[in-house]
Amino acid sequence: MRYVLIGNSAAGVWAAQILRSLDKESEIIMIAQEAVPAYSRCLLPEYLAGLKKKEDLYIRSHDFYKNNNIQTLFGQRVDTVDAYKKEVILQDNNRIAYDKLLIATGASSFFPPVPGLEGNGVFGLRNLEDAQNILDACRNARRIVVVGGGFVGLEAAYALYKRGHEVTVVEKLSQILPQQFDEKAAQILQADMQAEGIRFILGQGIKEVVSPGLWSRLFGDKGKGVILEDGQRLKAEVIIVAAGIRANTDLVKDTGMKITRGIPVNDYMETSIPDIYAAGDVAETRDIVTGEVGLTPIWPNAAAQGQIAAYNMAGQKKAYGGLIGMQNAVEFREVPAIALGITRPSGDAYQVLSDYVPQKNYYKKLVVQDNKLVGMILVGDINQAGFYGAFIKSKKDISPYLQDIMRKDFSYAYASN
Amino acid sequence: MSNCQTCAGSDSCYSAHNSTNEMYDYTKKMGVETIFDRWEAQQPQCGFGMQGICCQLCSHGPCRITAKAQVGICGATADTIVARNLLRLTIHGTAAYSHHLEEIIKTLKATAQGKTPFKIGDEAKLKAVARVIGLDEGKSVNELAVELADILLNEMRKGSEEPLALLKLFAPPSRQEAWEKLGVIPGGVLSEVRDALTKSMSNIDTDPVDLLLTSVRLSLATGYMGLVGTITAQDILLGSPSLAESKADLGIIDPETVNIVAHGHVPLVATAVIQAAQDPELQEMAKAAGARGINVYGSMCTGQELMQRSGSSAKGYAGQLSNWLSQEYYIATGAVDLVMMDMNCSIPALKTMADNFHTKLVSVDKIVRMQGVEDHVDYDPEKVEEQAKQLVKMAIEIYKNRGDKINIPAYQAKAVAGFGVESIAGALGGSLAPLLDVVKQGAIKGIAAVVGCTNNRNGHDTKGLEIMKELIKNNVLVVAAGCMSSAAEIHGLMDPKAKDLAGEGLQAVCKMLGIPPVLNFGSCVDIGRIGVVVTEIANALGVDPSQLPVVASAPEYLEQKAVADGIFAVAFGLLTHIGPVPPVTGSELVTNILTKDIESLTGGRVLVNENPKEAVAEMVAHIEAKRKALGI
Amino acid sequence: MRQIMIDVHRCNGCLTCTLACASAHSLSQSIVGAMQEKTPSRIQVLSAKGKVVPLMCRHCEEPACVVACMSGAMKKDSKTGVVTNEGTGQSCVGCWMCIMACPYGAIKQHPTEKTALKCDRCSHREVPACVEACHEKALSFVEVNEYANKREKKAAASLVDEQG
Repeated sequence: MRYVLIGNSAAGVWAAQILRSLDKESEIIMIAQEAVPAYSRCLLPEYLAGLKKKEDLYIRSHDFYKNNNIQTLFGQRVDTVDAYKKEVILQDNNRIAYDKLLIATGASSFFPPVPGLEGNGVFGLRNLEDAQNILDACRNARRIVVVGGGFVGLEAAYALYKRGHEVTVVEKLSQILPQQFDEKAAQILQADMQAEGIRFILGQGIKEVVSPGLWSRLFGDKGKGVILEDGQRLKAEVIIVAAGIRANTDLVKDTGMKITRGIPVNDYMETSIPDIYAAGDVAETRDIVTGEVGLTPIWPNAAAQGQIAAYNMAGQKKAYGGLIGMQNAVEFREVPAIALGITRPSGDAYQVLSDYVPQKNYYKKLVVQDNKLVGMILVGDINQAGFYGAFIKSKKDISPYLQDIMRKDFSYAYASN
Repeated sequence: MSNCQTCAGSDSCYSAHNSTNEMYDYTKKMGVETIFDRWEAQQPQCGFGMQGICCQLCSHGPCRITAKAQVGICGATADTIVARNLLRLTIHGTAAYSHHLEEIIKTLKATAQGKTPFKIGDEAKLKAVARVIGLDEGKSVNELAVELADILLNEMRKGSEEPLALLKLFAPPSRQEAWEKLGVIPGGVLSEVRDALTKSMSNIDTDPVDLLLTSVRLSLATGYMGLVGTITAQDILLGSPSLAESKADLGIIDPETVNIVAHGHVPLVATAVIQAAQDPELQEMAKAAGARGINVYGSMCTGQELMQRSGSSAKGYAGQLSNWLSQEYYIATGAVDLVMMDMNCSIPALKTMADNFHTKLVSVDKIVRMQGVEDHVDYDPEKVEEQAKQLVKMAIEIYKNRGDKINIPAYQAKAVAGFGVESIAGALGGSLAPLLDVVKQGAIKGIAAVVGCTNNRNGHDTKGLEIMKELIKNNVLVVAAGCMSSAAEIHGLMDPKAKDLAGEGLQAVCKMLGIPPVLNFGSCVDIGRIGVVVTEIANALGVDPSQLPVVASAPEYLEQKAVADGIFAVAFGLLTHIGPVPPVTGSELVTNILTKDIESLTGGRVLVNENPKEAVAEMVAHIEAKRKALGI
Repeated sequence: MRQIMIDVHRCNGCLTCTLACASAHSLSQSIVGAMQEKTPSRIQVLSAKGKVVPLMCRHCEEPACVVACMSGAMKKDSKTGVVTNEGTGQSCVGCWMCIMACPYGAIKQHPTEKTALKCDRCSHREVPACVEACHEKALSFVEVNEYANKREKKAAASLVDEQG
């Protein structure tokens, strides 16, 4: 038996680890485009801020692959998959046969189609190389514009602010973190970062990026001009694009595999083609709270999916209980926040419990539907997150707890016998 | 442990004393739990309590200050809770000392009226005090004694607004000035206790600084009534201490006599019992029961009181057995027939131990009661002669039940007792001047009062003895009182031979005068006697006590009287080393005031250092600084 | 494999376990020292309407926190079964993913460092400090048999429907 895993991040590494624990004999081959051991891309902002060295980003010890007897083909790009012959074809035309294949190729930064948003000084932040390029470019930079007020954008903004740069975050929507948090939570987090000195421009998209004219360049002004929708003009030496991601599905586009925004998988992480599994940011799964199928590009989900894929690849039928797609934990400056599940409900079906004390950077919001907890936002005090999360995941009837559930001491003690 | 000698028969090392360690092993083999086992069973102890940040006053509580709850339910901060808890400890100490004093006053008056078996023991002191107070010296001794007793009783009971007369008469004026500024000069002691108790109720006085000042105020009431007042009246009644040689440790127990142990702090019934034991009729009775005679030993401070008067009212005293931590073990020798417990420091575990033997426990003060103890001979001055005889007879009866389970560890030490202003001056030819001269010359660098309880937190007597030995090595004369005095006796530090452990200068002085390097000042109430000596020295030099090369250390303080003593020493202007760390560390404010800020107000401060060598180094540095400032 | 078992009916809420825990993880190795160092406790004593429940990490068979950890710091030791984010080769960065993942709420933010704080089952000691300190024997460190193990798991599952 030979397992081939394409991708060497959360899903890929966890899959390899579990596969090896279940199957001591078979061959495991990991192929990855990046020529480095598995690292945590979530830590890239820490690396950008200078808080971590490259070696600190690795999520497994240096002998992980050796100890688990995993063959690695790192720095190799997979061109395509021949599902009929059950072979992976590398860019150098080498073919690698597989019995079971895992696609854990992740995703790439999405660059919106804005004129001039390319070339020197314009970066996404997705992998180690991006981060190294940003650091190089920042060496002579003063002003930085971050395009996108989502999680990645804000992390990058705060990291570079910490390095001493002037940072402006431009977000098209009217609040930061529009995917996970509601307006109240976003305001607390924004105020916290603003107090530090990061500038925000909300409700404005970017119309165009113009390179400095000849005249400016002659006088040593390298900064590009970022022109916003309302005509406002920002100067920046470095522009970071954090406007979302696109799943890396190119390698399977000719296989006949069903592809939507990503690769849809069933509860066993199986794609529409036998013996090919997908997990992580490239896979589309069903969110257990909303019931919707979609990408869930966050680390814990990728890790869990990698594990489930491994069990099934090794022949142990194990269903993916489903995770909550919409979830994230953040702490940019000193206010931690967590959002999980349905945080901005619309319609009469939901009951919203909330406690909002912005002057103390405190906000708690619980969303209840049919006596079940379906979403939460915690800002300022996140210690109850796991316990609330357990209620959301278990879909337990919360009516016995309804009058206590908002309490700051509501805890496992209420539920244990 | 650093004080550990070679323990011949002992497997354990809980105590600095061989006898205690051996008895611990012995009781352990018997299957009886004692202090060290109980201490271990209590570990770990609650950090909230240890830091003083637990409040149990109201039924919203108990509240404790945690990271999550920075104030109590009422809003009390850690500062308030710590200061209030400390005040409550001080109140307890003050009240207990007052009880002792009142017993003495009543006895003094009854004695002057001829209603007790006692005789006025020190007429000279009575007259001297009468002179200072302004009584008519032409009156008879008994008349003066009655008047003095009435005055003292009035001092106890008058209002808190009337300044305490004893303080006004006996405290150095420079001290009074400092206390006046702080508004802490107390009035009648009982009124002060009432006020302080009221203040420390929930939600009356919640200002940590005022609560601390109230503790200082109570400590002054303690100092000049409970301490100085008590020792003065006690000296007048039972005689001032005189130098006498005595013995200490469990090895002095005679297995062939009827053995009575006087245990506690108020030496009245005990003195009467010692006197009664000489009664030929009772001696005969003892012999008829098969004993060679009757011995009265001491434990705790009652023993210390008897020892320092073994040349006068307590003639016949057989010696000191133990201090607080080792009290169970004298019973465990199997050779103690009766323990008479007067006020303070009789632990409930005595009864447990007594139940393993024939030993009878009897309370001899109406306020002492112990679960399981049914024999009470509550002190009554007018009946004490009969009560004493009754107790001796009880002991003889019980002696008849003594079993053969006798185990007396073979350790004993010689100890000189009876130091005080009068006895020192007497030995020096009538004045303290020769002592001051050797201090000025530097043979003795200074004086350290090592006083107070014994405490297992740092090993029984271990820290205290190490501190004493380190001090004398540094040529600091040690005066000891209370359980620390017992520790020094048993350890041989109060034997003139201990001079060899002292530094060169102190050694020479000890040799010349034939005294030990650690002077036995008696019981814990004799901290007042130390205060009197320091006052005399200050007056002789014309300086304030805070300027003297004098320090205090309570290295193993245990209970509430010691808290009042400690605060008194600080108020008196002394650098006061206290161990273990008192329960105040939960409040930065209180800790800072006691260890730093108060020095600018009273000249004294608390020194906390649990390392004996380091603590002594700091004390010696303080002494050197004071010497330098005085130009000596 | 030994586990810390909790008998909630015996707990009287004295918090001694929290002090012992802090002490065992402090520089001074003493309770008062730990309070002064501000060493936090890793065991919580939760309360719910008069009921007191001591709670520390259950060192789950399939720990959600380990899966959620994006720095690789949180690991479960295959020999001891201990789940910890300390001394595992990778360092915790305080992303709080584990806090979000733990169904018991047994992981907390470290009060002074940007790391997640949890029970390490006193890896440096024979018996965990909280167990040793418990006067009421509400905590015990015992070999867990299959039955108890299952029961424990079932109890957790009633609240937390873990994936798989």
